[in-house]
Amino acid sequence: MTNTARNVLVAMTIVLAVGALIVGNPRASTSGTVDVTALARDIEHEADHVTALELAQWLRDHKSGLRVLDVRSDSEFADFHIPGAEHVALSRLASLKPAGGETIVLYSEGGAHAAQGWVLLRALGFREVYFLRGGLLDWMDDIENPVRAANRTADSAWAHQAELSRYFGGVPRVGAVPGLPSASVGAETAPAATSAVARAKRRGC
Amino acid sequence: MIAPWWETGALSPPGVLVAGLFVGIAFGACLERAGLGSAKKLIGQFTLKDMAVFKVMFTAIVTAMLGVFWLSRVGVLDLDKVYLPETFVLPQLAGGVIFGVGFALAGLCPGTSCVAAATGRGDGLAVVLGMLAGVLATGLALPTFQEFFVSTAKGGFTLSQAFGVTDGAVVFAIVALALVGFAVTSRIERWASRTST
Repeated sequence: MTNTARNVLVAMTIVLAVGALIVGNPRASTSGTVDVTALARDIEHEADHVTALELAQWLRDHKSGLRVLDVRSDSEFADFHIPGAEHVALSRLASLKPAGGETIVLYSEGGAHAAQGWVLLRALGFREVYFLRGGLLDWMDDIENPVRAANRTADSAWAHQAELSRYFGGVPRVGAVPGLPSASVGAETAPAATSAVARAKRRGC
Repeated sequence: MIAPWWETGALSPPGVLVAGLFVGIAFGACLERAGLGSAKKLIGQFTLKDMAVFKVMFTAIVTAMLGVFWLSRVGVLDLDKVYLPETFVLPQLAGGVIFGVGFALAGLCPGTSCVAAATGRGDGLAVVLGMLAGVLATGLALPTFQEFFVSTAKGGFTLSQAFGVTDGAVVFAIVALALVGFAVTSRIERWASRTST
């Protein structure tokens, strides 16, 4: 091979390699494939979501490889988010790549966007992915500001929930009857997050 | 027509066999042309006197890698339909060690042993038969080490995932490694042949 031919080949190789570095992704658009049967089975078996209590437990136990992704808007994230959560807009989910040993939990305000994000991530090949059922609203109700109805006994389940709540700075209360204004026991000051959930509730889910 | 043609149904089963035959002939011809059908060439790699194996392998890797990256990027190849071998860390480490010992002892690897056998070399035929016997023995003994065989599974695990960078960055790094490698190996060849004479 002549020196000229070799130099041309080397130059072409370098151009293609630098181009690859700049472009980054070998896929022009992100297209995933969905195993509809497998997804439907997971949904039926409720293997697609976690409850606020389960997520709180995972966070408190520092479950290894856990990533909590907030798919709401920038301003909503800045306003309030679950401790340790990362902000990832739905449109940016496509740039995530499955990594071994990771467990991903998505949450949105009411849960709909996170559930849709769950389908997107599954299509991209993620396996250990869940969404927070009831979204941030459930997190507020169950962790930040849990209310025990007066007619419900303070059993071990309530004690567990109250303990998790206090871990996250929440204020467990005892309410009169479900649905009616609650009376606070212990600390009278409402947690800072209450205003956020109040706004969220007004907007509905 | 989007590749891989077999996965997308553009090639019928007989068509795939015919295509495989031609690709195989071309592969064998290239290996033989590069001199890799001779165990002496491969021993030269281990004694650093002849880096043809390194150069041929990395030329193939760089060509195929850039081809796959850009064909996928321009939409001619569907990467999601290309089979990605799964990673099993410990079993593959152990297998790599056994493979390397066999490679150095025989002076031939699976591909080159077929080429050597096809050109009538006795050692090539011996390695092919030994390889088939080894595959059979491993298959029969599999139940006894099944647990190890599937341990430390990472699924389809790529370098870009391991290092948390883009696929393009991995492509660039490997091309840089190859180009630097080509320059360095040529010097090593000259140095090794000087010191041995």
